[in-house]
Amino acid sequence: MGRAKIPRKSTNIDMTAMCDVAFLLLSFFILATKQKPPEAVTVAAPTSVSSKAAPEKSILITLTKEGKVFLMLGEDTKKKEIIEDINTTRALGLTPGELSKLNKMSFIGMPLGKLKALVNLAEALPPDRLEGIPIRDSANNELVYWLRSVTNAYAGTDQTKLQEILLVKGDAEALYPDFKSIKAAFKKNELFKFKIVTNSESAPVGSELYNVNKLGTKATEVK
Amino acid sequence: MAEFLNNSSLPAKAVHRPHKKSTRVDLTPMVDLGFLLICFFVFTSNMAKPVTMQINQPNDKTGESNQVCNSCALTVLLDSGNAIHYYEGAPENAILKTTDFSEQGIRKILLQKRQEVVSVVGNPARMVVIIKPMPGAQFKNFVDMVDELNIMGLKLYYIDEVKPADQALFLQENHYRK
Repeated sequence: MGRAKIPRKSTNIDMTAMCDVAFLLLSFFILATKQKPPEAVTVAAPTSVSSKAAPEKSILITLTKEGKVFLMLGEDTKKKEIIEDINTTRALGLTPGELSKLNKMSFIGMPLGKLKALVNLAEALPPDRLEGIPIRDSANNELVYWLRSVTNAYAGTDQTKLQEILLVKGDAEALYPDFKSIKAAFKKNELFKFKIVTNSESAPVGSELYNVNKLGTKATEVK
Repeated sequence: MAEFLNNSSLPAKAVHRPHKKSTRVDLTPMVDLGFLLICFFVFTSNMAKPVTMQINQPNDKTGESNQVCNSCALTVLLDSGNAIHYYEGAPENAILKTTDFSEQGIRKILLQKRQEVVSVVGNPARMVVIIKPMPGAQFKNFVDMVDELNIMGLKLYYIDEVKPADQALFLQENHYRK
């Protein structure tokens, strides 16, 4: 008995469509990816329900898990003025050449006394070998001097703008006393407002903030 | 007969034509490459933008002091191991209790306290939370606590330090920790 012959189809399929999709997705991800700003060290920030995005340009103080403090002066801040100011106010004795070398560093993580030696090193130290800015001794909290130079550099300008760009990014597991020292350094320079960088999370369903966000109004005035 | 023949007049069969190749190329390697790059960008991109939380500190030099009604105040002491000790009102004769950051923990207590403030003074906005992180507390605990107040829509809070009066409570409760 003759069987109906099923014509054999070719196993080659047209890849063009698949190729199109692949490159479309690729271009999307390339465009959507943002160049990460160079980070002194990686810290796992805690989460919060805040919704205000972190500003692009910033003066960022990073607190690591080990309690090391790094200061990152953004490229479009008054970095040069700040570094020159701390050089004169703390009498660091850096030459103009050393100052420009320091200016080129993306972050500062050394005690003031060791900055001169640091900029004269042939090779840049890896971040994990930097000591961080000393903050634990409240009588000699060097972050106070740095922030003083920041306020000096920004003196005469709009202070609310300065408050906008002062950021603190702490590791979730950093200990509170270190953060307290940072907070104290702000306060000593009469900088009463600053921002903490966190990762975002959504407000729990049914909470006050959830209702406010959802309805756009203050819904619950408990009687 | 001697005759030059024009090439074009040759019969088609005789012309040696190069074999016509197919214009189709195998796109499989290109697709492979495409997806490989996609994988790379998916893993390296961070879509979630960091957000900021505002912290305000009081200016002590102005010498202003706010009077807080005794039943409006809730003091939370953040301890190591994500524990929260809390008491209501002034530290004198207060009873220290312990809770945690779970939904049934501090959030419930804040809700209860707000109800209480509403029943006593009639206005939930008068409730004041005093945050006192202890030396063993982590940065995360502090952020979580402020976050919890933001979730509750409580605007009035102070960040303070552990005072001897608070330490005394621990001795009294007999669960003092370093």
